[in-house]
Amino acid sequence: MPSKNPLPPKENAFFKRILKCYEQKQYKNGLKFAKQILANPKFAEHGETMAMKGLTLNCLGKKEEAYDFVRRGLRNDLTSHVCWHVYGLLQRSDRKYDEAIKCYRNALKWDKDNLQILRDLSLLQIQMRDIEGYRETRYQLLALRPGQRASWIGYAMAYHLLKDYDMCLKILEEFRKTQTPKNFDYEHSELLLYQNMVMQEAGMYQEAMEHFRMYDKQIVDKLYIQETLASLCFQMGQPERAAEIYKSLISRNPENWSYYQKYEHSMGLEGESEERLRLYSEVLEKHPRASMPKSLPLTFITGDVFHKSIDEFLKKALRKGQYLFVSIKSLYRDPCKVQIIEDLVLSYVKNLKEVGKFDSNGEVESITVLLWTYYFLAQHFDHLKNVEKALEYINLGLEHTPLLIELYVLKAKIYKHAGDTGKAVEMMDEAQSLDTADRCINSKCAKYMLRANQIQEAADMCSKFTREGISAVENLNEMQCMWFQTESAFAYKRLGKWGEALKKCHEIDRHFTEIIEDQFDFHTYCMRKMTLRSYVGLLRLEDSLRGHAFFSKIALLAAEIYLHLHDHPLTEGDNDGDLNSENLTPSELKKIKRKQRKAQKKAELEREKQKLEQEKRDQNKNKTTDGELDGPKEEELIPDKLARVEDPLEQAIYFLKPLQTLSANCIDVHVKAYEIYSRKGKLLLMLQSIKRGVAADRSDPHFHICLIHFLQYVKEKGELVEPTKTVIEQEMKKIYEGQTALQLNTDFLSRNMGSLPHRLAGARMMYKLDNSKQKEAISLATTLESEINGVTIKVLFYLTGYTFLFLQVL
Amino acid sequence: MTKGRIELGEVTQHNIKQLKRLNQVVFPVTYNDKFYKDVLEVGELAKLAYYNDIVVGAVCCRIDTSENQRRLYIMTLGCLAPYRRLNIGTVMLRHVLDVCEKDGNIDSVFLHVQVNNEGAIKFYEKHGFTIADEKKNYYKRIEPADAFVVQKCFKGDRVAGSSESSIVPSSDGKLNQYS
Repeated sequence: MPSKNPLPPKENAFFKRILKCYEQKQYKNGLKFAKQILANPKFAEHGETMAMKGLTLNCLGKKEEAYDFVRRGLRNDLTSHVCWHVYGLLQRSDRKYDEAIKCYRNALKWDKDNLQILRDLSLLQIQMRDIEGYRETRYQLLALRPGQRASWIGYAMAYHLLKDYDMCLKILEEFRKTQTPKNFDYEHSELLLYQNMVMQEAGMYQEAMEHFRMYDKQIVDKLYIQETLASLCFQMGQPERAAEIYKSLISRNPENWSYYQKYEHSMGLEGESEERLRLYSEVLEKHPRASMPKSLPLTFITGDVFHKSIDEFLKKALRKGQYLFVSIKSLYRDPCKVQIIEDLVLSYVKNLKEVGKFDSNGEVESITVLLWTYYFLAQHFDHLKNVEKALEYINLGLEHTPLLIELYVLKAKIYKHAGDTGKAVEMMDEAQSLDTADRCINSKCAKYMLRANQIQEAADMCSKFTREGISAVENLNEMQCMWFQTESAFAYKRLGKWGEALKKCHEIDRHFTEIIEDQFDFHTYCMRKMTLRSYVGLLRLEDSLRGHAFFSKIALLAAEIYLHLHDHPLTEGDNDGDLNSENLTPSELKKIKRKQRKAQKKAELEREKQKLEQEKRDQNKNKTTDGELDGPKEEELIPDKLARVEDPLEQAIYFLKPLQTLSANCIDVHVKAYEIYSRKGKLLLMLQSIKRGVAADRSDPHFHICLIHFLQYVKEKGELVEPTKTVIEQEMKKIYEGQTALQLNTDFLSRNMGSLPHRLAGARMMYKLDNSKQKEAISLATTLESEINGVTIKVLFYLTGYTFLFLQVL
Repeated sequence: MTKGRIELGEVTQHNIKQLKRLNQVVFPVTYNDKFYKDVLEVGELAKLAYYNDIVVGAVCCRIDTSENQRRLYIMTLGCLAPYRRLNIGTVMLRHVLDVCEKDGNIDSVFLHVQVNNEGAIKFYEKHGFTIADEKKNYYKRIEPADAFVVQKCFKGDRVAGSSESSIVPSSDGKLNQYS
């Protein structure tokens, strides 16, 4: 229904101009026309004009006014679909998608067949994954515009996402029949491949294979057909056919190791059989320069055959230089092979130094071969955790050729593995100074600095490559450089600067939100370009985005910090990072506080200066463009505020929630969740975490502590209320099988005597359950026999902390 | 049989430290910051030598306009010990001589060699250089302190005869400004 106050022709013309100006981004002109209409007293309160004025103002960045005008316009003309549509657009630009959907629906009430509104609504619905709504809207669009390709595809895709494969395929088939493909029609090919993908997901493998056969000529992605056909044949129980196809794929690309793997899988080849080797030798005959057929057999051959092959392989690689260790790293799982390799290479060194050859019956090698052999041995011993020998060889390398940057990088790595972060930074700094055009080494150097808690130095290092004019840290945040922010967060945490660490965690969280937002434009783009398989892949990626390791790493860190802040909240006087205030005398404390205040003031001034510069730059920017809107301005993250938040546990839950479903296999998630809920006393949620932990990894030492804690907790709780009582009892029976805490702990210890982290956990629980067993517990935890695994620096750190606690009680 | 690729590369502000490090290891004389600042300006007259993509040597020269002649002075030319006798020195020297040829207006090339450095003397003689003079106490902090002036002339008749008398021995002159 049109607006209740239609405009006469002259004003209507102005109104149409406003719309045009908005579309062409000529906002100032649009405002002029709006003024002309509103100046006329008869139309001073014209709803639709006011709404358009508001929308234009929004594009110029004047949000408050924009909302004001739009709302007033809407109030004046509630039955105008234009007003509702504009309001929806405004909400959308602020990412308030749910509100926007409501507005669009209202708009549709008054103009049910408005294509523009329907399209906008469908975009929002798919963005918010309201698939049912998306399907309805798509249906309407199809009914209105059956001639448009996107209408059919969108409608079919809605069914696909709802897993109604039959409907989806029916629609796709109908649509396909109407298409006449040209030669090498990429878009039609993608349509067919999308159709095939739906068939595969529906489990219709036979039909999928038929489909490939029928439309082979029209599909241009031949490689995909081959790969998929092979895997379908295998699933349909035709392994010989599958093996045939894999063989032809191998001759197409002999360097793709997955083809070899799948071929062996289809033919059932395992172990060290003649047949298995035959495949590789055949491939080598046809492609003598391929590297995969030479390196893959090394993983399964043994004994003398291995010795001969690895000898050749090593020599060839050492002549080339550099990447030998990385290519054979997978062999290091087998200690026999490791020994063979070590013996061989040490013999090379001896011979090269004496006669310049690998062995007595070879040729004289180039001088750099010895260098790369030293390099390899350094990596070899570093991997075997033999720091002395690793340093010995790397130093030999440095003496030989002090200008090879890789040597410094490796030396830094060796120090890092040995735990000396200071020396590691020194070496890395040396490496990067030799070639300041190398951004990779620069980044590595920054990372090592962060590991050594040298945060400012790391930022200065990165600034050699970041954009001029703004601080490195800010630029890296803009560029979503998550590795830097993650390492910074961990560094701040080690320094006890909780607020700063949390700021980094929140920044990374915002990146993830942004990545989810960014998919908005792809909904139209992919439909237009027909890249449907990739599009569905994108939707699925976005659905499980926070399961990514980059997120889970800082989410767990944030949860840890919030837990700490809950247990030890910052007091009024506490300055972030005052780790040792108890150990200082009052005058020393005063001195330090004065220094901190001075440093803070200086930092403030710096920030002010940079802000002014940024504002100046922004002003200049605004003068030129008409103010592109980038979404709502986000609240600034202030470290101190973050550290003093009132509900740290709620914040922790916010970070962990997506992980509980998306990273369900990660035991740490459930351990942290348990710790949060136990502090809140939420019995059922604690139980949920326990259940999930059991499914993930029951034998994890930290989780073991949670298991015992829960058992004790429920015991101490006494009588529970129904229906909680039944649920708890039932579930606990399944998990604990009637064991007591003591039994559970003894059982756990007996199963895991060979691992230090487990012994530590068991010992702690032993002490907790029975105070008298203190001596036993300490000895259990602190005996470091050679058969015990898991003796890392981290674990020893915890160990000394706990032993200190134990001994304090004495 | 030595299998190695020898290539020459530019000296830039990004890899200048590699040049410094190389000179530190190879030569008994240290060069100050001004030396390296100037090296960045001489273009083709300063090169790093790569063996199988690793920096193992370098050469630095400059145009010397003293004594009314336009001569090329080789300030440093050398490579790491394990990489000698592999032709790297020859490649660097040939490059220098090529530059002189292309320039067209260079009368001769010359350099200083410590009197006990037999290997270097032989190397230059092999390439057509001759010992033109000896400078006593040329070096400040190493023994022996004396140096030969080794040179190769291009425009034979013009320079013949004037070369030996025109080199003014000076221990703090322009030729020594970097020690």
